[in-house]
Amino acid sequence: MIYNPFPMRVISKREEAPGVRTLKIEFIKQEDHEFFKAHYKTGMFGLYGIYGEGESTFCVASPETRTDYIECTFRQSGRVTTTLANVDAGDIVTFRGPYGNRFPIEEFEGKNLLFIAGGIALPPTRSVIWSCLDQREKYGKVTIVYGARTVADLVYKHELEEWKQRDDVDLVLTVDPGGETPDWQDHVGFVPSVLEKVAPSPDNTIAVLCGPPIMIKFTLTALEKLGFTAENVYTTLENRMKCGVGKCGRCNVGSTYICKEGPVFTAAEVQQMPQHDL
Amino acid sequence: MTRILLNSRLDECLGAWRSAGFSVFAPVKRAELTRFDEVQKAAEMSLDIVMPERTIKDHFFLQTEPLIKYTITKQQIDTEEMVPPERKRVFFGVRPCDASGLDIDDPLFGWDYKDDYWFKRRDNSVIVTIACAKADDFCMCTSVGLAPDTAKGSDLMLHPLKDGRGWLVVPHTDRGKALLEPVAGMLQEEAAETAPVPSIPAKFDLERVTAWLASPESFESPLWREVSQRCIGCGSCTFLCPTCHCFDIQDEGDTYSGIRRKNWDSCSFAMFTMHTSGHNPRNTQSTRWRQRIMHKFNYYRGKFGVNSCSGCGRCTRQCPVDMGITETLQEISNLPK
Repeated sequence: MIYNPFPMRVISKREEAPGVRTLKIEFIKQEDHEFFKAHYKTGMFGLYGIYGEGESTFCVASPETRTDYIECTFRQSGRVTTTLANVDAGDIVTFRGPYGNRFPIEEFEGKNLLFIAGGIALPPTRSVIWSCLDQREKYGKVTIVYGARTVADLVYKHELEEWKQRDDVDLVLTVDPGGETPDWQDHVGFVPSVLEKVAPSPDNTIAVLCGPPIMIKFTLTALEKLGFTAENVYTTLENRMKCGVGKCGRCNVGSTYICKEGPVFTAAEVQQMPQHDL
Repeated sequence: MTRILLNSRLDECLGAWRSAGFSVFAPVKRAELTRFDEVQKAAEMSLDIVMPERTIKDHFFLQTEPLIKYTITKQQIDTEEMVPPERKRVFFGVRPCDASGLDIDDPLFGWDYKDDYWFKRRDNSVIVTIACAKADDFCMCTSVGLAPDTAKGSDLMLHPLKDGRGWLVVPHTDRGKALLEPVAGMLQEEAAETAPVPSIPAKFDLERVTAWLASPESFESPLWREVSQRCIGCGSCTFLCPTCHCFDIQDEGDTYSGIRRKNWDSCSFAMFTMHTSGHNPRNTQSTRWRQRIMHKFNYYRGKFGVNSCSGCGRCTRQCPVDMGITETLQEISNLPK
């Protein structure tokens, strides 16, 4: 029934940054996998769990173009994430989902894409990035602006390297002042100011912006200065969730249920929400 | 001619329903608290009261509902999904506001993803309401567009007779009609006069309240702080409410075995929306009180076209600091235009 999760087997675990791990998990039952393949679209989320500890909500970090497995990336911080952080390949975890809405990437076709992410918010962005890069011919110029507090805090380092090598992707990396290492070759500065410096064109461009609330706020101002309209900026929200399906009553911002109407919204939609409920 | 059920034949009816496979639940007073419990005889029932302290919601949306039993061994996890027992139930002597509460919650549990823990119980239950013959100062069904004899959520409604001999019997659904079949011989045809329904004056102007809540100035209004100063966040109003449906999901047990449960939760609690990071969107009692009122009289009606309140008044009647929804809605209703 409704709250019964899919059993999943852990394929591998990867250390991304201090306290941040990625689990790659696969469906144990064929019919569960078929369900996922039929329903998953980039931007959707799931409840990842482990019996005896509970469930936590994160995005599906893997793209809709690669559905043989699910990847999730999380910071070890509470009871569930601490237990998930300590699983090994072969262990059983659970997944409930995919829930929520999606980034409408087919509406982005023919357009330039600007991805902006801060810290641990690269995972939801990365799902969209790969969903588009796996169908590269459908999109125009792709720019990725990613920042973290320190060099160590950058996640998916091997993929950052891969994007850096590609000539069909512009990768802009930055770390907060003081977070650089002696051999750091990229930007130093906060994402909004680096974005203004790089100044990507708003023409025929969709921006996908994910990050902590404070970064979102200042980055939106920077995007407006660059000429982006709030209707062309997409983001994803998160809140504490228990059911994921619009019943448990806690993830709403004003009248909007993040789990059902979200988690993907345009900046214009977010601006319409009561800001003090975020 | 109408059908009536005499008090003196109620025991026979209960017997007939039990023989037909139903368990009968009715308000029962134990240790100063009236709640719905299984009964064998009419004498156990406590029908002559304004309002049982606990709602019938308790029997549809359980305070703690076992979802999944799990056992973990070395490389294997065995799970067993727990489903509600298939059991035909009659709820006798339900207040119309409590029956309305079930009706109000149906769309929430049914939209998109169906919650069968609710619907399996709903589908196996027959709701027999008794129209109210008395009310107290806290009753406010008339203020939320309902009435002491509202048929919403009732399969069968009993209207008390003026002479106190019994009730006029009015089925409202097929399920209610079917429930009359095993007891047909115990009813009698008679033109009888029913007791007057109590007059409950409106306590606030619902249209003004909902219009204000939907207006842009309401969310940041200083009113929320003022009306919620006394709130201690105990959650009583939530747990006694016939429509409150918020829940938590928790694993209870040890590392190797236990039960995943769906437990009542409340928007009044600070932990309700707290992120692991420490960020809390509703981090004060006033923002949580605003959520409670907004959810009931703005968000819910926006989504399902009905207020999430049936006017039973329990939240005010039993509030330990004498606060409650009524006072807030009166304050809103009295705001200068």
